[in-house]
Amino acid sequence: MSGLKLRGVRKSYGNVQVLKGIDLDIDSKEFVVFVGPSGCGKSTLLRMIAGLEDITDGDIAIGGRRVNDVDPSKRGIAMVFQSYALYPHMTVRENMGFALKFAGVPKAEIEKQVQEAAKILELQPLLERRPKELSGGQRQRVAIGRAIVRHPQVFLFDEPLSNLDAELRVHMRIEIAKLHKELQTTIIYVTHDQVEAMTLADKIVVLRGGEIAQVGTPLKLYDDPDNLFVAGFIGSPKMNFLKGQLENERVVLPEYGNISFPASVSASAPQEVTVGIRPDAFDAGGSEQLPLKVEIVEHLGNETYAYGRLGSGELLTIATDNDRQVKPGDDFVARFNPSSLLLFSEDGQRIR
Amino acid sequence: MIARILTRGSLYVLMSLVAFVSVFPFYWMIVGATNTSSDVIRGKPTFGTALFDNIAHFFNLFDVPRVLLNTTIIAVVGTVLTLALSSLAGYGFEMFRSKFRDKLFGLMLTMLSIPFSALMIPLFIMMSQAGLMNTFVGIILPGIASIYIIFYFRQATKAFPSELRDAARIDGLKEWQIFLYVYLPVMRSTYAAATIIVFMANWNNYLWPLIILQSNENKVITLIISSMRSGYNPQFGAVMVAVVLATLPTLFIFFALQRRFVEGLLGSVK
Repeated sequence: MSGLKLRGVRKSYGNVQVLKGIDLDIDSKEFVVFVGPSGCGKSTLLRMIAGLEDITDGDIAIGGRRVNDVDPSKRGIAMVFQSYALYPHMTVRENMGFALKFAGVPKAEIEKQVQEAAKILELQPLLERRPKELSGGQRQRVAIGRAIVRHPQVFLFDEPLSNLDAELRVHMRIEIAKLHKELQTTIIYVTHDQVEAMTLADKIVVLRGGEIAQVGTPLKLYDDPDNLFVAGFIGSPKMNFLKGQLENERVVLPEYGNISFPASVSASAPQEVTVGIRPDAFDAGGSEQLPLKVEIVEHLGNETYAYGRLGSGELLTIATDNDRQVKPGDDFVARFNPSSLLLFSEDGQRIR
Repeated sequence: MIARILTRGSLYVLMSLVAFVSVFPFYWMIVGATNTSSDVIRGKPTFGTALFDNIAHFFNLFDVPRVLLNTTIIAVVGTVLTLALSSLAGYGFEMFRSKFRDKLFGLMLTMLSIPFSALMIPLFIMMSQAGLMNTFVGIILPGIASIYIIFYFRQATKAFPSELRDAARIDGLKEWQIFLYVYLPVMRSTYAAATIIVFMANWNNYLWPLIILQSNENKVITLIISSMRSGYNPQFGAVMVAVVLATLPTLFIFFALQRRFVEGLLGSVK
């Protein structure tokens, strides 16, 4: 049992509430990603789970045990930091064995653990080096190795890939996914990069302003967001948002040529809505259409994105099904099916 | 091209001048130690043959090993205690948040503006009432909480990554262990720079030992140099020998820690 239960977890610094009551269940062996814009409280929440920050209110339980007042080293967690936080005066071997040494583990056992972790992470040739003699990716692997040797119930990762270049980031992302498969432990991973969240997570927790905006699988959040924030945050390029009105069982877009189409929901009284449509929801065979003028074209090879301006002035992102013929200045008709739209009320909540 | 040569040339002239001004006293000290007193007074700038006479004279006048031992004890113990206490305070001021932290630190810094001469008499009375007159403790104690060194360590600690402390806490270290096993080795350049500064200050200290130390067997090197100079017929050759002897340890410490000293002043954490 290495699941986590968070109940009404709050954090305040003086009068400033950073976390406003977090309730969350994390199952054993689950890979959970906390994602959100900077300042949303995701790192603070992680540090509270680690025991590096006091809990203002609420309870945190790891493996069924309440850990609010338990020392960080006794919570059964290990943490990998953004800056790696390797001890600069120690070799890789010493860095990895440091926690065990302080726990009074016999030397031979420490060596065995270090060797095992080094084997998993292919660090064996580097054991005698100091952190400053390693590349960023190698340092990151040592930091992960230091976590592995402690055999924690829960791994905590605090934006571990932010300091790496793009290529290495993708590589390490795959390494971490592999590691999760191999070690079969619970992982909580903090990032502001929604691509990392989508690719790694079993479950994503989207945080905003100290509250949970939505919890769900990556595809659930992508296909079925609860609110405007999650709809806009998950997915790259971002979802397009248009102003509209919901009347009876139809959606009207008065600012975009007054087009109207059937809605999947009905409203008793007419109401203002936000219509969300993902760039890849545009479909050449769609029943509805929005005429626009292409301003910028991005060729990614496997996909071509067109950024087109509507008559009303909004810029729309369209995945063109890799139509490589589109050019800036072209008149383009973006077609879509009403069934692929999402509707949000004025307060940003999804209308289902 | 000519302009460049001129600028370079004047730069070298200026640097040579500065180098001469800084090095000349050392040269004068060493030359003086080899000359007779009258040669020193005459200003003879070349090496003489009176070195061994001067050394013998100096060793006849004082119990030199004892004086050096006194000075070493005071300088070493004083340096170790000052570094230990002041670095702990600097670490604490930076690492632990509290409402009063910055006010307290500000108050402490204002103390820097009080000159030692103003503190001398109250300190003297304190030491005298505590029965610490004419003791090494009386010399060392008032200096070990050095505001300047606390300030220096607090500033240096700002560069100490807080994630290292977090990692150590997760690794199971108590606060004192983090200080001892992580902070101290990571900050060794800062300690090296502080060692040079504090050791030199302690070794060269004159005024406070002059007030506290009264018996001859407790005297330190600065005091005996001063007493040699103010005698009825000062032997300047022997004075120069004493000065050389007084300079050697600080020179040695400086060269031993020189690389770290520069690193320490630039900030030890990279």
